[in-house]
Amino acid sequence: MTLDGRKSRGAPSALDGCGSRGAAVPSALDGRGLVCDYGPTRALDGVSVSADATGVLAVFGPNGAGKTTLLKVLSGERRPDSGSVLLGGKPVSGADPAWRARVGLVSHRTGLYESLTVAENLRFFAGLHGRQGGRAGRRKADADLAAALNRVGAGALANARVGALSRGQRQRVALARTLLHDPEVVFLDEPFTGLDPDGASLLEAALAGLASAGRIAVLATHDVARGLRLAERFLVLQEGRKVLEGKAAEHDAGEVASAFGAGGGAP
Amino acid sequence: MSALRLVWLFAAKDLRAEFRSGGRLPAMAAFVVLAGFLFAVSLDRSQVPGRSVAGGLLWLVALFAATAGAGRAFDMEERDGAFRHVLLSPASRATVFLGKTAANLVLIWVATALAFVALTAFLGVGVRSPGSLASHGAVLLPGTVGLAAVGTFFGRVSSHSDLGATLLPVLTFPLLTPVVFFGATATARLFLDRPWPEVSGPVRLLWAFALGSVAAGAFLFRHVAEE
Repeated sequence: MTLDGRKSRGAPSALDGCGSRGAAVPSALDGRGLVCDYGPTRALDGVSVSADATGVLAVFGPNGAGKTTLLKVLSGERRPDSGSVLLGGKPVSGADPAWRARVGLVSHRTGLYESLTVAENLRFFAGLHGRQGGRAGRRKADADLAAALNRVGAGALANARVGALSRGQRQRVALARTLLHDPEVVFLDEPFTGLDPDGASLLEAALAGLASAGRIAVLATHDVARGLRLAERFLVLQEGRKVLEGKAAEHDAGEVASAFGAGGGAP
Repeated sequence: MSALRLVWLFAAKDLRAEFRSGGRLPAMAAFVVLAGFLFAVSLDRSQVPGRSVAGGLLWLVALFAATAGAGRAFDMEERDGAFRHVLLSPASRATVFLGKTAANLVLIWVATALAFVALTAFLGVGVRSPGSLASHGAVLLPGTVGLAAVGTFFGRVSSHSDLGATLLPVLTFPLLTPVVFFGATATARLFLDRPWPEVSGPVRLLWAFALGSVAAGAFLFRHVAEE
């Protein structure tokens, strides 16, 4: 379907990765000695981390461990008080629009405007990423929007107001927004929270698609069982410090969860 | 995408969301009607002609629209975390600021237009000719641009705080006092049919404030946009 509700030919019907840009596979994203304070509270305390395109990096930890802060610092949303973030060995910063253009985010808060329709939301965010302009550009952008919505099984929702959508539907739209500008590095901040099984399966497929398309993906979650299933590597944060890291295949959920005193896998 | 297109994109999004949700406009309209009604019933117009208070009423409405309106301009950004995605886009902070300021400016103009209607309805003070309307526009344009810019900037500052709604007037009123003073002075002189040279001095000061506040806001917004 196009955004106006017309049927289109050739739109992908299922998640098939997001590597349409054909960009070179980015090398590793490294955070070195990251320190981040919120007033007197140290949210990150000298955390070093490396994520690459070989598979998803999962970040585990209890509430307040620093998972979201780590994602914010790596993505450039927040400047670290100390330490640096590098992509392929070169420093990157949230102050650089070129870096922000390469980053995508899927969060438990969907970040959509409730009084706008799905298509209006996606057009707006596509515009922020320079994906609109001129009549031909707009036609192409609309086709891309329709394709992104179809990929997440939300093609029929284009003209629906976001405020009328269920949590699962909103998360699909949020995922479509992220796929739309084809980011090289994707941060997923508790994206499974509140999702129904279908939505969760879709998101898992999207994550697999990212990995197979050679994108760097960092997933913050306290659902250890799911995280280990999806990730290639993981690390555990506790009170802003890295307390464990390793390959997902070499650890079981109970072992990882015990590192931060959780019960294994969240439902 | 050019900076101007991004400003338009942001302003159009804000206005579409505002007019569709009807968030701030009904509150502004209710305030205009109430203020006009109270001025009308509390004035002894045989002693005080409506014309002599019309400027004050007009700028009171504009000030309310700028502070109460701008304070809520970031509600929609924060409600479901949309601003996080805006800040992660390559769009510059300056264009975000200018887009939101433009949207706030339109809302202030709508409130001010309603105030003219209220002035006519409750105080019998109207704009008599196209020339008079142009003169009022020449005063209101720079004044409302300044109000919108300051309101937008501090709307973001106060949205970080739990005390947001309380904090905004505390932050903005001292800064906006010169705008309201010179704006109300110039508008009052227009309502009293004074010649333009008596108005042009305050208008020049309003333009200086408007340009200064827009430039400063665009430059400094990145410091308040992020956490």
